[in-house]
Parts: sequence; structure tokens; C-alpha cells
Amino acid sequence: MSRFLFVVPPLVGHINPLLGVAEELAGRGHEVAWAGYPEQITRLAGDEATVFGCDMPDGGLVRPPQLAGPAAFKFLWEEFFLPLADLMAPGVDAAIDAFGPDVVVTDQHAVAGALVAERRGVPHVTSATTSAELIDPLAGMPKVGAWLQGLLTGLRGRIGDPSATGDPRFSPHAVIAFTGRDLLGGTELPHERTYLVGPAIAPRVDRSDFPWSALDPDRKRVLVSLGTANLDAGTRFLTEAVTALDGLGDRVQGIVVDPGGTLGEVPPGILVRPYVPQLELLTKVDAVVCHGGHNTVCESLWHGVPLVIAPIRDDQPIVAGQVVDAGAGVRVRFTRVDAARLGAAIETVLDPSGGHRAAAESIGRSFRAAGGVVTAADRLVDIAEPASPAARPTDRQCEEPT
Amino acid sequence: MGTETTGSTVDELERAPLAADPDVVLADLAGMLRELLEEYGLDDAEITRATTFHDDLELESVDLVSLSGTMREHYGDRVNFAAFIADLELDEIIALTVGQLVDHVVASLRATERG
Repeated sequence: MSRFLFVVPPLVGHINPLLGVAEELAGRGHEVAWAGYPEQITRLAGDEATVFGCDMPDGGLVRPPQLAGPAAFKFLWEEFFLPLADLMAPGVDAAIDAFGPDVVVTDQHAVAGALVAERRGVPHVTSATTSAELIDPLAGMPKVGAWLQGLLTGLRGRIGDPSATGDPRFSPHAVIAFTGRDLLGGTELPHERTYLVGPAIAPRVDRSDFPWSALDPDRKRVLVSLGTANLDAGTRFLTEAVTALDGLGDRVQGIVVDPGGTLGEVPPGILVRPYVPQLELLTKVDAVVCHGGHNTVCESLWHGVPLVIAPIRDDQPIVAGQVVDAGAGVRVRFTRVDAARLGAAIETVLDPSGGHRAAAESIGRSFRAAGGVVTAADRLVDIAEPASPAARPTDRQCEEPT
Repeated sequence: MGTETTGSTVDELERAPLAADPDVVLADLAGMLRELLEEYGLDDAEITRATTFHDDLELESVDLVSLSGTMREHYGDRVNFAAFIADLELDEIIALTVGQLVDHVVASLRATERG
């Protein structure tokens, strides 16, 4: 039996896919501990989870709503992921001391996990929770790529092994990506130890008190959600969405997630909830309108539900493009779309003749075949317990072609 | 709705001699950008040299790819948009204006005229 330390940033979307993997490993008799933000991890993983606390930036990831595009990218690395790694590093070191993991599983954006594990000589595996950072979006912007590598090299000098090389976002031992080939298209993967396991669909604790009986069996049901990280940016969009859904109200029932409580009175027939049990709800809806967060997108596709995507920033425009290219949804402009355009987009994906539903179902089948948390756990156990000592990833140069 | 931004006008421009005149280039690029933005409901945007790609037009990388394709149709090999972007630092990309792209196009066209 082996010990796995999961290192995660204080971002729900990055933690969620690993919850099912942790459960799967524990079910096989392995030990899992977490390093991150204790209150958050305990809330998501349960009180019995073993958690080593790491220092965290005050207030989490807070950005002005209008910050998007390359400016958001700059902010994300310079003002969040890099300081986060510096803050988390001592906690990761302490967790390795206390827990003695065989493998460190580190989120792609909790770079401290990769760099500290590398310095400590513990094999580390990258957990990639978005399909966007597998495709090198910076390929056409070499100076931007060099800027990021400069930041990461400086960070490695502070918290890692300065003599090491390689991009800490892509462990040479393995990259486990919670996405699928049908979404990525023909993209080349970072290296041969990149495992596309599909989304990690695992039951989550339902604290939402959702009124299931209010769902209308006679209308198509459309879920509108902007995810967990965009409370500040979504009021205009949600308002337009409510108007669009009201316009379609004779044949569509809207279910709108409004965690910030920014919507006032809404027309009758539209359900507005601060939280929803998303996975369970996805079995009962016909379309999802969202911001293109990778988890929501993959969970929708896993259930064969087509999408209208209004990407805000970060990986979302890339994920949206992947969904459109796969034929499973349409894209609208987050800051510009009005009720009329949004309503038309919803009707487009609901119309069976458009093929969006069929494409989503096809991707869903491929996701299920990829194995999700079971495959992820298989790969992690392979690395923790190699068949022969010679196969141990730490003992060979993984960058070299074999 | 103006009359200068329809697809057929772009086709006509394509057949016209390509002038390395900054005002003409600005008008051409503004037409391409309006066409690109039309599908997002931003067809009435005023586009000047000072217009920024990100803050003002809210273009995303996928839009830049589209623009690159449209520019290639219009200018052929005389203008290399990808090389222009590739030479920019992150802060330059964040602050990129239409005027900077106009200047790049004008310089590229003049270079091929000289050559």
C-alpha cells in the first residue's frame, strides 16, 4: 500500500476532480493526505480527510471583473500562482516530512507541489484540471512563454532544486489530465506519459436542498451556471439569461445558479438557486449555459448535454473553442451577448437537427470509456508501486525518448 | 449601419491595388475587425488608431487567429501577422492598439514595394 500527498491550490475547480481519485485510492487501501487550504479541503473532502495546512494568499483569487485576456493571464501568474507557490512551499515541505508520501500528486497550478517534491526527490505527478493547458496556448507568443518560464525559473531557485530543469507544470513522471481526446481534437500532448482519463465524476455532498419537484417534465430544462469563481463578473450575463429564458418560457424551464444573490425578482417559471447539486441536475437537463469552466463543461458532456458557452477568461476561451470544434455547443460573447442572441443560442443547441446533442453524447461515451477516477488511480498506483525497481520513474531520465 | 463594411466591399478591396497608405490600411483593418465583431453584436464599434485590441474590442486569441486569416486573404504574404504577434512582449500584447498593427502593415507593404 502506498501514500499519496495531493497538493492543491485554493480553487474548488482544481480540487473537485481529485476528490474522487482520493476516494478511489482510499477504497483500494492506500493512504491519501492533502496539502492546501484546510477549511476548504475539509468542506469538500469531508472531516475525516487528512489535511496539512499551507499558507494561502489573503482572500483567495480576486480579480476585477473586467480583467480578461492577456492581462488576466499576467495577473494570474504574477499576482496569484507565483505568490501562492512561495506561500505554500513550507507547508508542502512539512507535509512531506510528516506524511512521507511515495508520490506527490500536484495540481498543475499549485507549482509548489512539483518544485518541492522535485527538490525532496519524491516522484510527483501533475494533475491537469483543464484541457487548455495541455495545448500550449503560448506557442505563437514566444516572448510570453519566455516570460512565464523566467518566473518559474526564479521560483524554482527560491523553493525548488535550482539545478533541475523542465517545466514544473508538466511532470516528466506523469501528467494525469481530467479531459478527453474527443475534446482536445488532434492536439499533440506534452509527452508520452500524459494520460487523458476523462472527467472525474464522483458524487459530491449535496447541501443544496434542491426542489426537485419544481422541475417541469413538460418543458426542456436549461441550466445556467457561471461556476464557482466568477461571482463578481456575472450579474449582467445572468440578467440577460433570465430574460432569454423568460422569452422561451413556454417550452423551456430555466434553472439559474446565482451564488452571489445578484438577481432580484425573476419571472415565474424560472428557478433561481444559490447552489445546485450539479451532477444530479445534469441527468435532468437538456442544455447548459456556462462560462466554459473545464469541470462544468466536462460534466455536461459526460452526461451528453450540449452547451452554450460564454467564456470569461483564462482557459475558458480555449475550452469553448474545443467544444465548438467538437460540435457539442455554441459560443457567445460573455460581455456582449444580449437576451435575444442568448435565446437563439439556447434554441440552437436544443434543436436536435443541429447535432449538438448527438456530438455531446458521443463525447460523453468517450469520457466514460476513459475511466475517470479509476484510470487515474491505476496510473498513480503504477508510479507508486512499479513492477520492478528499474521501472521506478525517479531512476531514469524521463525526458529522454525511449 | 454604415455601408463600408460589407463582405463584398472587402472583396473589391482585395482586387484593388494595395496602397501602403496608413489611412487606407486603417480603413481596411477596421472593416476586417467590424466583420469579425459583428457576430458578437459589436458591429457599431468606433475603431481608430488608439483602439486597443483587448480593453476596447475584447478580442480573444481565437479572434486574433481569425484576423490573421482575414489579413492573409487580403494582403497575402506581404504582411505576416503571426510574426508581428510573436515579436511582442506580454505587456505589449496587453496594450496592443489598432494603430500599431496599421504601422506594421504599412511598413510591411512598403518593404515589399521597395523589394
